[in-house]
Amino acid sequence: MTTTTALRRAAAGVTDAVKVYGGGDTAVRALDGVTVDFPAGRFTAIMGPSGSGKSTLMHCAAGLDTLTSGTARIGDTDLGALDDRRLTLLRRDRIGFVFQAFNLVPTLTVAENITLPLDLAGRRGDPAWTDALVDVVGLRDRLHHRPSELSGGQQQRVAVARAFAGRPDVVFADEPTGNLDSRSGAEVLGLLGRAVREMDRTVVMVTHDPVAAAHADEVLFLADGRLVDRMAAPTADRVLDRMKAFEVRS
Amino acid sequence: MNASLRLSRASLRAHRRRFAGTFLAVFLGVAFLAGTLVMGDTLRASFGTMFGEATAGTDAVVRGADAITAPGQGQGVRQPVQTSLVRTVERVPGVAAAAPDIEGRGQLVGADGRPVGGQGPPTLAGNWITDPRLNPYRLAEGRAPARSGEVVVNRGAAKKAGLRIGDTTTLRTPDPVRVIVVGLATFDGQDGMAQVTFTGMTQADAERYLTARPGQAAAIDVRAAPGVGQSELVRRLNPVLPKGVEVITGQQSARENTDMISGQFLTLFTTFLLVFSGVALLVATFSIHNTFAIVVAQRTRDNALLRALGAARRQVTALALAEALAVALTASLAGLAGGIGIAAGLQALFPAIGFPFPDGELVIKILSMALPFTVGVVVCLASALLPALRAGRTAPLAALRETDVDTSGASRPRAVTGATLGALALAATLGGVLVTPSVWLAGLGALLALAAFVVLGPVAATTVVRLLGRPLDRLRGVTGGLARRNALRSPKRTAATASALMIGVAVVSLFTVFGASLKATMDQTVSRSFAGDVAVSNPSFGAGGSGLSPRLAPALNRLPQVDTAVGLGRGVAEVDGRGRALTVTDPAALARTFDLGTVIGSLRDLGTDGIALTRAEADRQHLRTGDSARLTFTDGTRETFTVRAVYGRSELAGDYVITRAAWAPHRTQDSDTLIAVTFKHGVDADAGKAAVKRVAARYGNPQVQTRGEYAQSSAGGIDMMLTLVYALLALAVLIALLGIANTLTLALHERTRELGLLRAVGQTRTQLRAMVRWESVLVAAFGTVGGLGLGTFLGWVLVKASDGASDTAFAFALPPTRLAVVTLVGLTAGALAGLRPARRAANLDVLRAIATQ
Repeated sequence: MTTTTALRRAAAGVTDAVKVYGGGDTAVRALDGVTVDFPAGRFTAIMGPSGSGKSTLMHCAAGLDTLTSGTARIGDTDLGALDDRRLTLLRRDRIGFVFQAFNLVPTLTVAENITLPLDLAGRRGDPAWTDALVDVVGLRDRLHHRPSELSGGQQQRVAVARAFAGRPDVVFADEPTGNLDSRSGAEVLGLLGRAVREMDRTVVMVTHDPVAAAHADEVLFLADGRLVDRMAAPTADRVLDRMKAFEVRS
Repeated sequence: MNASLRLSRASLRAHRRRFAGTFLAVFLGVAFLAGTLVMGDTLRASFGTMFGEATAGTDAVVRGADAITAPGQGQGVRQPVQTSLVRTVERVPGVAAAAPDIEGRGQLVGADGRPVGGQGPPTLAGNWITDPRLNPYRLAEGRAPARSGEVVVNRGAAKKAGLRIGDTTTLRTPDPVRVIVVGLATFDGQDGMAQVTFTGMTQADAERYLTARPGQAAAIDVRAAPGVGQSELVRRLNPVLPKGVEVITGQQSARENTDMISGQFLTLFTTFLLVFSGVALLVATFSIHNTFAIVVAQRTRDNALLRALGAARRQVTALALAEALAVALTASLAGLAGGIGIAAGLQALFPAIGFPFPDGELVIKILSMALPFTVGVVVCLASALLPALRAGRTAPLAALRETDVDTSGASRPRAVTGATLGALALAATLGGVLVTPSVWLAGLGALLALAAFVVLGPVAATTVVRLLGRPLDRLRGVTGGLARRNALRSPKRTAATASALMIGVAVVSLFTVFGASLKATMDQTVSRSFAGDVAVSNPSFGAGGSGLSPRLAPALNRLPQVDTAVGLGRGVAEVDGRGRALTVTDPAALARTFDLGTVIGSLRDLGTDGIALTRAEADRQHLRTGDSARLTFTDGTRETFTVRAVYGRSELAGDYVITRAAWAPHRTQDSDTLIAVTFKHGVDADAGKAAVKRVAARYGNPQVQTRGEYAQSSAGGIDMMLTLVYALLALAVLIALLGIANTLTLALHERTRELGLLRAVGQTRTQLRAMVRWESVLVAAFGTVGGLGLGTFLGWVLVKASDGASDTAFAFALPPTRLAVVTLVGLTAGALAGLRPARRAANLDVLRAIATQ
């Protein structure tokens, strides 16, 4: 399994990533020399206890935050070499996002939210693709509704559709099921999984929920800003056991 | 300290930014108000001091006892006194010196050939009083006039005219007089008495050019011998004076002069400024109310938590009001300081632009501090009252609920109330304008219309913004679409923000429309009443200018091209006990050059005891042709005149007409205000005009204009007024813009997470800035459109009400170019107001924005 992973092209990744918040005595090393590739066409989950640096890793890899040292890449593009404008354009054109909550612009309809990154870019996108996405997430009858008229699960499904609308190189999901009940959460995770396996998309997801992590192809474990373990073909029980080990240690 | 106060202090400290807009709005309003009052008092006091100082040597003034004042004229015309009386006065024991004071109108022509002054303040000429202590002017350079033709000019006028000692120029009295400047004078150490120009001549010259006949003076100035007080002097002088002549103390005379200037000029000026500070404060009310409403809405959770923890309604309300009070007090206090600063700045600035603002301490009365302070505090507290009450009503449970955006606004009761108000407004104005002309009813209607606009704002906001924003979607794509929807988010808030600008724009458009209508009215008046080919006039404004030489009209009549040249002079008399302005002319010629409407009787043979008047005046005085009217002239004589004609139109001809022969025995300084010229049949218009011009050049070179040019220049003063009004309204518009910027900043603060999301999914900073700016432009557009509508309507009401209230037929005109400029300024201003909020929003840190709760 590891060999196949290595052979795959990396959709995104970081090398020797260090992120320090603050300075002097109060400096916090959120990332302490992490090197990892997120292979294309795979669903990778990042896990770790609170304060392990998993969110920071995602933010830096996605160009929302900058590294103190080391490099972050999307495809072959070194994010450190980009200014704010180019980073924005890169996020718009090559990255999709699903956040924990507040994913949608309240003044736009479902359909408009889905095509928002495309509209911002002034691109028409691929109507057949977005159309297919709408069916996959099952929101055809809600296209002209406002986000406030949807349930939390439906809102997250819209966010998923938006994330994939522009066929990005990679979709980053930050605790996408954190605010959902287990059934809605399972639906969203199922969508992310289908996108990877049926549509050959790449997903990187940060989560603290072993059940969610079990939907991934591989789980990376972070602790104290370091990559401490990885697990291929995870199941919820195995992930939970691994996580318990952290608690015992700390 | 009690808990509410402690909390509100903490909140103020934490949200200083939010209240910056409120602070500025109150500050500007109060500063403008206080500045106006302080400046008015200071000017009034310095004029008083100036007169007191300048005329300190005059202990008594002997003058005609009765003054005749025609409506609209500030200063009455007094019967002149005989200069021979000077000798009688000088013989009274206790009199040290006496000198005649001859005063008339005399406008200097500058080195560039253009007349000096005449745009408001009087242009005076008089005799140079040789007793230096009786003369209010002091010789600063050169010498006093000794020979005929020599004059002393006040230094300010000389500067403006570009004249130096030894220069020769023309003085229009209005008969042109060649004069040589031999001296420059000051008035109480200043270059002049404000902008008033003064030319001092020898007594003989003054008698010759400024009075109807030699031996007359406006007054006799008297100086007392040492040891004789002013009232003692008056007591001694009284017995020697003939009938119809009175004496007052020098102090009283100075006070009268000061009061006259205060009454005529300063009061008007300060009232004008006060009205505009009122508009600014009204606009501020909306901005302030809006800010507090938003702050309270944003703090629903905090307030609910307080309520859940056991705070009483009253305490929560008090908390909000305490914040408002703190802002009100600090802003009002700062405003007072700002106002004093404004007054001091003007005091320093005025002399630099040629308006000698008298020196001296600023006069800061308790009232001019207490009033603006109170107004500032009351405006601020009243604006915050409703939001504060709303804060008190917060349900404790609201702490648990997700706060959602306030989408109320288009509620049914609001629509019904607004529509009712609108209908009432329409009914009242139409009733007051069309059915039974009543300014009060029309005014009530205008007020109701304003209320209707404010109430209906939120209802209209949705539709209007959607409509106005439609082109944005097409032009600006998703950025424009987002901007439009953001502007639509809270119709109530959008409407309240726009209301402030709406009022500003409404007042601007009201004046614009009214100004254009006045111009159109003048145009219509001239084209309807003026049947001549060219008009000769000396453009002037207010008390300035000296009119036309009475010898010009006869000279023009001698031209071979001219059929009729008729001069219109002005006189004043009491008609049946009331002061009236008279038109002194050749009535028969008048009928040929002016369209007087329907004439009953004949204007041909008024003679020396005939009078003609307009239909409206005749109705008012219950006079008909053949009736007699008693006229009292300024020389005290009473005569009975017979009404020989009643004519329809008074616009240019005036209300009362008498012949020159009838006026001659009673005349004062002679001048014509307008000469209408018709050419003989077959005379080319240009050739005729050129011939008239050649003659006019010899009589002080007044303007010779065709009918169209004359109509246009008559309206010139209106543009000047409009410019001033625009400048003053800039303050109100500025406050409205601060309101827009403030609301926008607060709204963006609410949307922090959304902004973060937009940035995360790829909105560039440029796009975000554009989105915010367009939202601002849309809100401004809504206010501008509303203001244009309201202002135009009110302009129409004002025109129609004026039409009903006066004899002149008012024309209503819409100036498309000016209104387009107003719109453009409104929109640009909106874009400007959005600049800072846009920049702040664009600089948000994406991650932090997303993480905001």
